[in-house]
Amino acid sequence: MTSASARRDGEFACVARNLSVAYRAEPVLRNVDLFVPRGVVMGVVGPNGAGKSTLIKAMLGLVKPLTGRTEFFGLPLARVRQRVGYMPQSATVDWDFPTTVQDVVLMGTYGSLGWLRRPGRAERARAMAAMEQTGIADLASRQIGELSGGQRQRVFLARTLVQSPDLYFMDEPFQGVDAKSQQAIVAVLHALREQGKTVVIVHHDLVTVREYCDHVTLLNQRVVSSGPAAESFTKENIRTAYDVAADDDSFLEFVS
Amino acid sequence: MNFVLGTALLAVVTALACALPGTFIVLRKNSMLVDAISHAVLPGIVVGYFFTQDLESPLLIVGAALAGLVVAVGSEWLGRTGLLTGDAPQGLVFPALFSAGVILVTAKFANVHLDTHAVLVGDLNLAAWEQLTVGGVSIGPTYLYVMLAVLALNCAFLGAGYSRLKVTTFDPQFAGSLGIRVGLVNTAFMFVVSLTVTAAFHAAGAILVIALMIVPPATAYLLSRRLPVLFALTAVIAAGGALAGFWIAYELDAATSAGMAVFYGLVFVVGYLGTRIEQRRRHRLHAVRAVSTAQSAS
Repeated sequence: MTSASARRDGEFACVARNLSVAYRAEPVLRNVDLFVPRGVVMGVVGPNGAGKSTLIKAMLGLVKPLTGRTEFFGLPLARVRQRVGYMPQSATVDWDFPTTVQDVVLMGTYGSLGWLRRPGRAERARAMAAMEQTGIADLASRQIGELSGGQRQRVFLARTLVQSPDLYFMDEPFQGVDAKSQQAIVAVLHALREQGKTVVIVHHDLVTVREYCDHVTLLNQRVVSSGPAAESFTKENIRTAYDVAADDDSFLEFVS
Repeated sequence: MNFVLGTALLAVVTALACALPGTFIVLRKNSMLVDAISHAVLPGIVVGYFFTQDLESPLLIVGAALAGLVVAVGSEWLGRTGLLTGDAPQGLVFPALFSAGVILVTAKFANVHLDTHAVLVGDLNLAAWEQLTVGGVSIGPTYLYVMLAVLALNCAFLGAGYSRLKVTTFDPQFAGSLGIRVGLVNTAFMFVVSLTVTAAFHAAGAILVIALMIVPPATAYLLSRRLPVLFALTAVIAAGGALAGFWIAYELDAATSAGMAVFYGLVFVVGYLGTRIEQRRRHRLHAVRAVSTAQSAS
């Protein structure tokens, strides 16, 4: 890489180039390029099966891409792991697991601890601060199976906050949450933006996209559009991404 | 050491060595993999015996454990190809390996003295036959010390890997995003399980080792909502059940491992009924409280 392009990559929290992913013979992503500027909340939006979650997993190396690579702050992931946080979909884990809210949040500190070190007082203090930020401090000693859907999402959010990364990837943080949890998560998003952190959220509620995200990437196996919401999240681009005919605009009334 | 005492100790140590790693097997919802491994180690044991001529040789145990690992890793790989789903890959791999072992035994390859009965359910009394003597004094069955070593290894592995095992079991994707090598943790854990199964083969055979590994943690799982509690309860149930099962078998003059397995089954049923009754009582209490608050509000 030339030094000029290295400097340019430094402006971005994360750059993915030419990512292609297939599950068996089924292509999921085709030659996706994604540039995430620093300090923005970027929504990755698209229909079911568009490959939104897969895109994030491929960028983080959790799914092996056929082609392409991703750099974070101009470096490969292995060198900046502590600066990148991931919040998976909460439906992917076993909520009957015999563990408490505090224990799950503490898992966010495991990356900075070695094989043998256990979370100590400093880690517990960080976990408590993260639980307070997401409004679940009073649930700390509850078994995780006793929580509502929204509380579960806030546990996962707190677990990611504990890592205090500079770049957050959140997979459907608003899925199955009640109004109170939604409010709590939005408050955290705003706080992160104010601190100059970068957030990438997979989102599928078109109505709230403009409210939460300042950048939008419309995805349907390939990138339809990506950039500041006003330029990227337009009726025409949404129609293309969702494969809807031009005369069927009733569902797009919320887009100015 | 008294033969009965030595054999009873052997039963307890074997039960503990199996049940402690069993907790993570239960949490990973992978119980039948133990069955697959316990069958697949047979050819490893026979071939190992050909080279070592000693069923308790550490070399044989490690070699046979690698054969068990073939099932764990092989079926995972087959599953990833997407050609087979669920636990079909396990069902494909282990009968072939077990049958190869059976043919090797019946063909008297290696002249290994294993009768079908011992292969299936093991024989604790036979396993405890050979006594270790130090300075002319018997200090218990040799096999007891083999299982003690396995128990120590398992405790060390679970202690050192506790955090990694917990996070890779609960949320492998998140663990991967932390930079934890999930595949490596899984393979290391499967090797330890395979090693334990092989070592316990003598005592519990191919079929009953799954009872020693799965039933105590499965019962403890019903009763605990925190991981440390789960471990403590598992240990108590495993050790207590081993003693009780040993005593039942001793009184009835039956196979010890079968006695242990039956007793574990009984403990599980009691634990299950207990939690159901407790749940129903709590629901009724909630309902009563809800009604009384509604009444006082109106």
